[in-house]
Parts: sequence; structure tokens; C-alpha cells
Amino acid sequence: MFQNYINVALRNLFKNKLYSAINIIGLAVGLAACIMIMLFVRDELSYDRFWSKADNIYRLNTTFNPPGREPFVTVMAQGPTKHALKTYFPEEVEHVTRFNSMRVVMQKEQDVFSEILMWTDPETVDIFDFDVVAGDLRRTLNDNASLAINETFARKYFGEEDAIGQTLTLSVYSLKRDYRIGAVYKDLPHNTVLEFQGMAMIDEKDFVDQEWEFTQWFSVNNYVYFTLKPGVSVETINQRLDGFTNQFIEIPDAALGGQSSDYIHYSTQPITDIQLDPAGARDGEMKATGDMATVITFSAIAGLILVIACINFMNLATAKSTQRAREVALRKVLGAKRRQLVTQFLGESVLIALIGLVFGVVLVEVMLPSFGGFVDKELTFNYLDPLTISILLGLVAIVGVLGGVYPALILSGFRPAYVLKANKSSESTGSARLRNVLVVMQFAISIALIVSTGVVYGQKVYATNMDPGFNKENLIVVRNTGRSGAIDKRDAFKEQVARLPGVKSVAFSSDAPASGNESNNTVRVPSEEGERSVLIGSHRIDYEFFDTYEIPMLAGRAYSREYALDVSPNGFAAEEGALLQSNLIVNEGAVRRFGFASPQDAIGKIVKMGVGNGRQAEFTIIGVIPDTKFQSVREVMRPEMYFLAPYGFNNLNVRYEGNPTEVVGRIEALWKSMITEVPFAYDYVDDVMAEEFVREENQSILLAIFAGLAVVIACLGLYGLASFTAERRTKEIGIRKVMGASVFDIVRLLLWQFSKPVLLANLIAWPIAIWGMLTWLENFPYRIEAWVLLPLCLVAGVIALTIAWATVGGNAARVARSNPIDALRYE
Amino acid sequence: MLKLHNLSKVYRTDEVETAALNSVNIEIESGEFVAIMGPSGCGKSTLLNIIGMLDSPSSGDYIFMGENVAPYGEAKLSNIRKQHIGFIFQSFNLIDELSVEENIELALLYHNIPASERRERVAHVMDKVGIAHRAKHMPSQLSGGQQQRVAVARAVVGDQAMILADEPTGNLDSAHGQEVMEMLQSLNEEGTTIVMVTHSPAHADYARRTINLFDGHVVTENLRAAV
Repeated sequence: MFQNYINVALRNLFKNKLYSAINIIGLAVGLAACIMIMLFVRDELSYDRFWSKADNIYRLNTTFNPPGREPFVTVMAQGPTKHALKTYFPEEVEHVTRFNSMRVVMQKEQDVFSEILMWTDPETVDIFDFDVVAGDLRRTLNDNASLAINETFARKYFGEEDAIGQTLTLSVYSLKRDYRIGAVYKDLPHNTVLEFQGMAMIDEKDFVDQEWEFTQWFSVNNYVYFTLKPGVSVETINQRLDGFTNQFIEIPDAALGGQSSDYIHYSTQPITDIQLDPAGARDGEMKATGDMATVITFSAIAGLILVIACINFMNLATAKSTQRAREVALRKVLGAKRRQLVTQFLGESVLIALIGLVFGVVLVEVMLPSFGGFVDKELTFNYLDPLTISILLGLVAIVGVLGGVYPALILSGFRPAYVLKANKSSESTGSARLRNVLVVMQFAISIALIVSTGVVYGQKVYATNMDPGFNKENLIVVRNTGRSGAIDKRDAFKEQVARLPGVKSVAFSSDAPASGNESNNTVRVPSEEGERSVLIGSHRIDYEFFDTYEIPMLAGRAYSREYALDVSPNGFAAEEGALLQSNLIVNEGAVRRFGFASPQDAIGKIVKMGVGNGRQAEFTIIGVIPDTKFQSVREVMRPEMYFLAPYGFNNLNVRYEGNPTEVVGRIEALWKSMITEVPFAYDYVDDVMAEEFVREENQSILLAIFAGLAVVIACLGLYGLASFTAERRTKEIGIRKVMGASVFDIVRLLLWQFSKPVLLANLIAWPIAIWGMLTWLENFPYRIEAWVLLPLCLVAGVIALTIAWATVGGNAARVARSNPIDALRYE
Repeated sequence: MLKLHNLSKVYRTDEVETAALNSVNIEIESGEFVAIMGPSGCGKSTLLNIIGMLDSPSSGDYIFMGENVAPYGEAKLSNIRKQHIGFIFQSFNLIDELSVEENIELALLYHNIPASERRERVAHVMDKVGIAHRAKHMPSQLSGGQQQRVAVARAVVGDQAMILADEPTGNLDSAHGQEVMEMLQSLNEEGTTIVMVTHSPAHADYARRTINLFDGHVVTENLRAAV
């Protein structure tokens, strides 16, 4: 019996080549998409689960609640929290460690390099397990002149030589020391949120002049990880974190009022949650993280593609049931029970699903490297993994049963006497209607995916082409001008760069566009109830900054060398008790935040703030610039002040004309002739800004691919359905032709039959896609306008209809051109 | 009405060439009732299809209402056909998904006739063949005789000058067969030219002239005296 089933199943497959090909190709593509996304999802879910203490490692995140501003979430905490945690939670917290990444200038014999290394505490060894291949990691992290490096780094600088015992000279801030390589560890696997190529021990004495790095409570520069003692729940920590804040942090500005915990809030996060829930902060992780939304979206898309393939399966199986009717009738006449027939047909569909899986796996092997490239992961497909195998077989069973159960019930339900006598199927209008509903579903899914692709891509184009309020073209940022070794020569360097051919204008600044840095000052503004405190972002610039960025003044004037008061006072250089006065340029957002009526109104107004060393100064507003998207365009524009103050000038902004590579070449040559201890580094501003949207770009490409797949599979099904329908309708078409219908009339008739479900699909897909994409767009403060979605929907509809027509049209034309007698002569 | 001159039809497959019609010469006057008879495979249906412009001859001339249509392409033939020729088939060939009225209306659908006039003409012709009470029914709800009456109605609703009937009684019992033959006869008396293929000598007797075909040749033509 089984042999007979297999024979019939295989012969049917070979006999109906079109039908089999459509089913198998559709399923293969659907399963391949599913498998790849499954690998992606599994990888995303595997992050940081390999640490032996994975369930007991937590990170301390800090949220600032500045008055009148959105909370500012960081994934780091202040340096002193390490000791404070141990003091405040002596019974609960076991180990605490910090990671603080710093860019260092590294000297190996005569060569100078720029690298980013991690400063960390010795406890790191107690919390995380590293695969040490040489040396002693614990001893290395307990010695402030030793360095632990990973294998890649060791190979990069020492090649095949033994790295242990070698020396590198590191300089950062005023620290300059020879570090001995004390340990080499295996590169961390990709599925961890930690990333660094080398670790040095934090010795707080090395950074006494840079108290913001490790010793003061007002800068968050450290990733703080801790483990709990056995039996302690993280809840007991969470409940007491506000008390922790209030004990250790004192808000310096009495004017703000309230408790410290009103402004600073700590939270704990299990390390295994970080990858998919980056604590609401986009930036600041050691490397780019994923997010749950992406995981869910892609899983849903994979499911939908598989559904489309299953629908093909069901539709084609019921559509061709006419051809199987006689077999069913005969089997019944010969004594087959209905259950046996159902089993037979389900078996056939599982067989087809299995063949689909084989082709799907081949597809995965071919596509996986490029898919991995898009999602930025090295994904491998391990056939021996029992979980993978059971998931695959589960998929086959689900697809086979899902696609096969309805046709099996229909086919097995034929009444033999009727079928044999009438020599035709008793296909009910019900199954034809179901087929239409399913086709509508397929196209609704496809159209919604096309619309989503359009919106994601549109948003990316919109955001990258948005006018940031300054001219981002032809602008270079030369980095590292504030480093020791460069800082002494930077003014001379600037003067020389300004004289280079092709350079139009040059300016220093503390920040460059899209740097992700946040620095804020509390400003006291006169108001009706006395004084009000507001928090305003700040940048430090020089005289040529606005000219170089081509930012116009909305009101007042730019900084000028003619006015001595334009320069911001330095509290450390001021005498005690002196009245410090200065001038200030702010943006429109700051004018609004201060509560002034207009930019013109703001001119001449006085605001007060601290200028370091506990000294206060009065600032007169002399100029207002428009709202400039100097921070990330991903975030809401913030109120900003631009101080004329030569501190932290780490960037030299160069406005150029002509060939950029020539200009960069000249600047680089000049740098190398003047500055030897710091490597030359630069960026094009427009590139840096575009990089912020690489993720959306990749997403839109992936979406486009999936939407394309969905459409292709849906059309495969439509093609199969059209050819079966045309077969079923040959008689009708013949009659219509005899009655005088032209080829065009017939093609139109058939096209219309298949246009109806596609048009209906549009009506279903549009509202869903519009709702979904409007929700997605809310992630972006600057986004394409909602009405843009309508033309996108129309375009998607037209695309779907055109593709459906192209699919059905050829077949329809062939049928329409055939001689009607062939259809009518024999019945 | 029409004249076939030296008309041949050859079917080619890869290996065999079969002459279905061989130098056939036939002339049919307007208003005639002609029966075509002959054994299976003699070329009757091929002849009828060529006369009905559903098929083209391999050689020879086909003069239809003074025009040589032999070299015409499908679009032109389709135009002449829908204006002048109606068809009745052995297996009725009604569209299962359309009602009686809609099946009849089909013959007018491709003629650019306004809907109101179409309805009028369909109602008129349904009365004429006595099927009006079944207007909303589907073909599967009708008997064979009723179905063939619908087919006749469809063939004449466009005021076609000529009706081609391919064994119109082949699927009917004798009573219904006779009914259909009487209907054709009365149409002929109203001036419609009728060309009918049949196996039944009794039904052939309704015709005024019988053409006997054998192996693609016209063997005999019997003219019956007017009844």
C-alpha cells in the first residue's frame, strides 16, 4: 500500500511538472527565508549566554532626568560607582568591574599608531571568563604596566613572534608608559556585547587630572558590570538604588531643588538582555546591538513568506483536484476509506514539502554568506545540531499538513458515483471562493511588504538628504587635534592649513557632527518668579566656526576678535569674587527654552552659569543661529549654546573646494611634517552623517529582498492558478470566441478575473501597511510626511497589479489565441 | 450566400499529411437548408468549421456574400462571423456559470449593442423558442432539449443570416430531436440559411438538399423537391 502511495505521489509530481515546480520552488524559497531568519534570530538570542556566570552578570545603567528635557539614558555609569556599590551593598554585591575605552597613541619602536584600548579593573577576571592562550591574565590586570591583548591584535603587531614580554608605549592624556604584554586571549566570540582588543588595568592615580574618567560623579564614562553573591536577587538591589543615589550624589545646583534621585536614576540590566534591549540608548554600547523589534519583524516576515508558499500549495492542489477526482473515485470504489485517502494526500504534501526543504537548504547554503553580510553576522548552518534538525522537520510537517489538509479533505470527499458518471469533479463554489480569499491574502502580504520597503527606503533617503542647517558637503573634520603631541602645535597647524590651496576656511570645535557626545550646562535664566534653571547643550568653538559651517545668524552678530568679552571666562584662571562677564551665541531652541519671545528679543538678555572652579559668570546673548542638526539627525534637535572657548578643541573643520583627495593629501602631508606623535585621522562630514543610516539602508535592502520573494512566490502561485483556470475555462473561452469575442476580449476577461483579488488585496494591505509604517516612523524625530505613504501605496498596488498581469497575461494570450474548435469539438 | 471553389484542407503532423477535404466545390444559396452527411472522419466537421470561419482552408477559394474570405486573418473572420453566422453544437456548449439569459446575451455582447436593446432581443428570442420561463435558470438545471433550445436562441438572437448546426440532435432523444428540427425548419422558412451536419437520415430529410461527403470528396448532392 505504502509503495503504491509513493508511486502515485512521484508519478503525479513528474506528470504535473508545472504544478510540482511551482510548489517546490515556492516552498524552497519560503523555507530558505525561514531558515536564514531562524539562524539570525537564534544568534540574536544567544548573546552573552556563554559566560559561565551569564545568569549573574548585571550592568548598571544611568538615566538622567534633566528638568524640561527628555530623559537621557546611558548604558554607562560614573567611575566611583564601583567602590560605592561595594560599600552600599556589602552583603549583596560580589564583584564589580569597570570598562572605560580610550583612544591611545601607541608606539612600537619607531612607529606610531592610534588604537582604542579598554581600561578595566582586575575583577574582570572574576566576572568574565577569557580564553587565555598565553601569559597570566589575572596578574596582567593587577599590574598597571601590563597589557592583555587578543589574538588579532597580537598578530597585527607581533606577527608570528611571541607577544608575551614585548613592549608597547602607550600615551593617553598626560600618561605615557611602557606596557609589557602580559597575556594573550582568544578573540571574544561575536555574540557578546563586549568588544575590545586589549585591556589595561585601571590605576586611578594615572588619571588624577582627568577626574571625569574615574573619580567624579558628574561624568558617565564607564561600563559598570557586577555579580551578586549566591542567593541574592537583583530585585533587592533595584529597590535600594534611589537610596544609593541620594547617599553618594549631591546635586551641586541648589536652585534645582529636590533629591538627587529625582535627577539621576540607576537601573540594572542582566547582561543577557542587553543585545536585544539596549536600554533605550542607541549609542554608547561597545558595538552596535540588535533590537527585539527587528527580531520580531523578521520572524514575522519569514512566517508570512512561508504562508504565501503554503497558500500556493493549497490553491494548486484544490485547483487540480479535477485531475485527481477519478483516482479518488476508483480508490473509493475499490474500498478505500476516507481516512486512508486523507492520509495518502497528506503524505503527498509532506513529501513535496520535504523536497522543498532539500532545495531550500541548498538555497540557504548559497545565500547565507550574503545574508550574513547584510545583518553583519557570521552565520553558519549546522546540520548536526539536534535543535536545528528538529525545527526543520517540524517546519516540513507544519507546511505539509497546513498546505495539504484542506485539499486532502476536499479530494477525499468526492462522491465516486457522481465523479465517474459525470467525468468531472464536483468542485464546489466553496473551494473556488477559498482560493480567491487565499490569493487575496498572498497579495495583501506582498503589497504590504512593498509599501514597507518603500517607506523605510524613503525615510533613509529623506534623513540623509535632509538639510542639517549647515553645508555638509565639502567639509572635512581632522581629528585628534586636542591630543598631547598635537595640542601644542594645533594653532600653527590651523594657520598653515588655511593657507593650503583648495582650503576656503578652517575652524576648531569641541564636537563634530553626529559625534554622539552630550555635554550640558545648567543655565539660570531671569523669569517672573525670579530665576529659572534650565539645562542646555554646549559646544566650544572658535571665531571661524560659523563661517566654516556656513551657518547664518538669525539675529545679532557672530563672535569677533574686536570684542574681548566674546571669549568665555575660565573659572580656574579667575580671581575670587571677580564679576565674570562674557558674550554668548545660542540656537533658536535655546531661545525657546529660555522663554524669550523671538531671536531678536533674546539679543541683549543675560543668563548666568558656572564656569568651573565654583565661579559664576553672566553671559549676554549677542547672536542667535537657526536650529542646526549638529547632533545626530536621529534625535530631536536640542537647545544649544556655542561658547567661544579654546578647550577640548579636538576637531579641525576644513571647508574646501576642488578635488577632495588632493586637499586631504596636502593636509596629511602638512600634519606629518608638523606632528609625529599622533597619527593623522580625518572624516568627510557627509559620510559620517550618512553612516548613521546604514542600518536603515540595510533594512530596506533586506525588506526589498523579502518583498521581492513574497511577490515572486505569490506570482508563481498565480501563474499556476491561471493555467489551471484557463484549462478549466477552455470551453467557455471557445464559446465566447465563436460568439465573436476577439483575442483582446478574452485576455481582458482572464486578466480581470485575476485583477479582482489583487485590487481587493490592496484595500486590505493599505490600511495595515500605513498603520504599521506610521508607527515605525515615530522612531524618527525627522521623518517623511504621512501623506507620502498614499502615493507609495498606489505605486505598490500598481506594481503588484502589473506583475500579476505580466504573470497571467502570457498564458491568457496563448489561451485566447487558440482555436476554439479544439475546445468545443470533444467533450 | 456562399461558394466553395476547389477548396482543400490538409492537416499536418510531424510525419503524416492528412487531406481532410479535397477540392470541394459547393455553392449554397441564400435561404437554403442544406444537410451534410457522411461517415465519421469524412470531413463533415472540417467543412462546417471552414464554412463557419472557425478554420481556414489550405487552398482554394471561399466566397462568402461576394467576398473571398479564404486569405483573411482571424480578426477579420471573427468580425464577419459574429455578424452573419450562428452556431449550434451537438453538446450545446452553454457556459455553465451563466444563466439562460446571459448565455443568449453572450451572442450580442461582442456587437456593441446597448444593454436595453440586448435585453429586449433576448426576451423576444426566448419567447420564440419557448424558454422564457427558464430565463434565470442555470444550464445544469435544464434538460438536454431545453439546453439545445437555449443554444438555438443564442444562434439567432443576433439576426444571423446563416446558422451552422453540428449534429444538433446528436445528444437528444427523438422527441426533443424532432422539436429542435422543427424549430430549425421554421427559422429556415423565415429566411435563415441553415447548414447542418447530421448522421440521421430522418433529420436530413428536413433539408432541401443533402451533400454526401466521403474521404474529403463531395460524392453526391441530392436535391429534394420542395415539400
